[in-house]
Amino acid sequence: MTAGRAVAAAVLLAAVATAHLLAAGRPVTALTGLLDGTAGGLEERIVWELGLPRLLTAVLTGAALGVAGYVLQTALRNPMAAPEFSGVNPGAVLGILAGLTLGVVPADSAAGALAAALLGGALGGGITWLFAARRDPVQLVVYGLLGSALLAGIATMLLAYQPSRFGNALRWLVGSVEGRVWEHLGFTSWWIAGWIAVAWACSAMLAVLAPGDEHAAALGLRPGVGRGVALAVAISLTAGAAGLSGAIAFVGLVTPHAARRLGGGVPTAAVAGAVALAGADTLAQLAVHLLDDTHRLGVPTGVVTALAGAAVLARLGRSQ
Amino acid sequence: MSIPVAPWAAGIGLGALGLAGLCLGTPFVAPQDLLTGDAVAGVVVWELRVPRVLVGLAGGAAIGAAGLLLQESLRNPLAVPEMIGVSTGAALAVGVCVVWALPVPFPLYPVMGLLGAVAGGLLTLAAARAARTAGGVLLVGAAVSSAIQALLLAVMATADRLQYDMLFRYLVGSLSGLMWEQAGRTLPWLAAALPLVVLCVPALGLLRLGDDAAASLGSRVHRARLGVLTVAALLVGCVTGPCGPVAWVGLLAPLLARRLRPRADARTWLPWSAAFGALVTLAADLAARLAFAPVETPLGAWTALAGVVAAAVLVRRA
Repeated sequence: MTAGRAVAAAVLLAAVATAHLLAAGRPVTALTGLLDGTAGGLEERIVWELGLPRLLTAVLTGAALGVAGYVLQTALRNPMAAPEFSGVNPGAVLGILAGLTLGVVPADSAAGALAAALLGGALGGGITWLFAARRDPVQLVVYGLLGSALLAGIATMLLAYQPSRFGNALRWLVGSVEGRVWEHLGFTSWWIAGWIAVAWACSAMLAVLAPGDEHAAALGLRPGVGRGVALAVAISLTAGAAGLSGAIAFVGLVTPHAARRLGGGVPTAAVAGAVALAGADTLAQLAVHLLDDTHRLGVPTGVVTALAGAAVLARLGRSQ
Repeated sequence: MSIPVAPWAAGIGLGALGLAGLCLGTPFVAPQDLLTGDAVAGVVVWELRVPRVLVGLAGGAAIGAAGLLLQESLRNPLAVPEMIGVSTGAALAVGVCVVWALPVPFPLYPVMGLLGAVAGGLLTLAAARAARTAGGVLLVGAAVSSAIQALLLAVMATADRLQYDMLFRYLVGSLSGLMWEQAGRTLPWLAAALPLVVLCVPALGLLRLGDDAAASLGSRVHRARLGVLTVAALLVGCVTGPCGPVAWVGLLAPLLARRLRPRADARTWLPWSAAFGALVTLAADLAARLAFAPVETPLGAWTALAGVVAAAVLVRRA
């Protein structure tokens, strides 16, 4: 990433972050007041305790999903590979739901949610892997879709077991960045940042793997090992994102395409994902103002990304 | 000449499941008392169980047939009724009615569901007009479906706790509370759709050849595909209106039909798919009523269980 690109990315991120904070509807003085390093009056404390964590959640989730999608698409050589299409994201959400329903995970523990998401994501990815073993990598997505449907069926069974929990489960099923505070972010932010760094370090390996298995083998990389590492990175990142915000759809599918069209690698995918999700959450906040703040959960960010992603998908389908 | 075992087995299985649906439960009515029983048993059987079994039978068959129509016309084994916006459209219409407390009387909810299903199907068809290939139509359907799903979740985010319980039962799919009134609104439509399904069979044979070959044989490929999709949407919408989206039957029934007759074509698979759809739905409804009696579990949870197990087994073997 050249210096010019880094500056452009920083400016873009700063612009989206400002828009996001302003869209929350707090007075501008509350934002400028925070710049001196202390949270003074009520409005400043609201921005510090609620606004900033929400922004950070959106940025981290978006970055994690963007990189996870980028790694999957490169390693599997499939433009439709994404966390939500490879069983990883549904698995992670199922893990969280199962943990909550069976009472293994306390409802408010960030580390517990992350562990449950990691377990579920590994399970979902593992099922997909098992189905698609010894097959063409391109086939992986078809089996991933089937695996995702399978996991969704199990989630339905879980909810049927205790329908009264549906209200709590909804937040995870649709994906929302609202209601996260600093305690949730503490460990998960390091987790996501660390794995993005690992993905960046693996850039060279991904570049070797991308053209084909024979190509990778000729250069001395065992393709199975490479794909395994890539899948592990993608699962860890997706679990981190799901543990924070639940099933945010389409960010992991669409933003890597934007990053690749810009000619960038892992860092570009991270920035693109972060900007996309923070922008989507800005729209979600504005939509709440339009609806007179009557919504209990607000407008979940997952709804905005799903609608935008559906528009992209429909365009893709019509052009074929 | 060997005796055809499979049709007899399917017929006997359907008969046994239907009879079990009429007899089992509280109160238990012995088979020989079905026609001559006392007044209470007669009312329970005639007013509650007969319409329920009939709707389960016809609705399951309709979903199974719709699943095969979709899979054949889009040439994709993963094209399920949930992917063309019909089921989700019905769910959205009912969800909006319940959550925003629209002044719609409760008995009219199935009609709202049917309207939503038709609207969702029309939206998909309108959006898919520009798509030229089978894969494109499938993508557009998935896009419309997931957009409607997102809207539904946005609406549900505004609901309160009591409404969740009510909505959940509907959204997972259930045959509970079906009486002659609802059955009377569903069954005639399904009967009317039957000749349309038969009309689709030659089109399926052509579409199966691939777009180019079918076009060179004189078939207007795109129009034929949209026609088949319309029939499938009608079938699914009629069932989804009163029962909610019954998941997995549309995927499972064609899979089983193909497994039973691997070398046949759509003409053979269609009746088999309908038969398997009816079998699966009746069996799942029996389980839903009896497994945790007196509490009734949603039908969709059981079809999901059957679908999960069967898909895992079938894919493992494939």
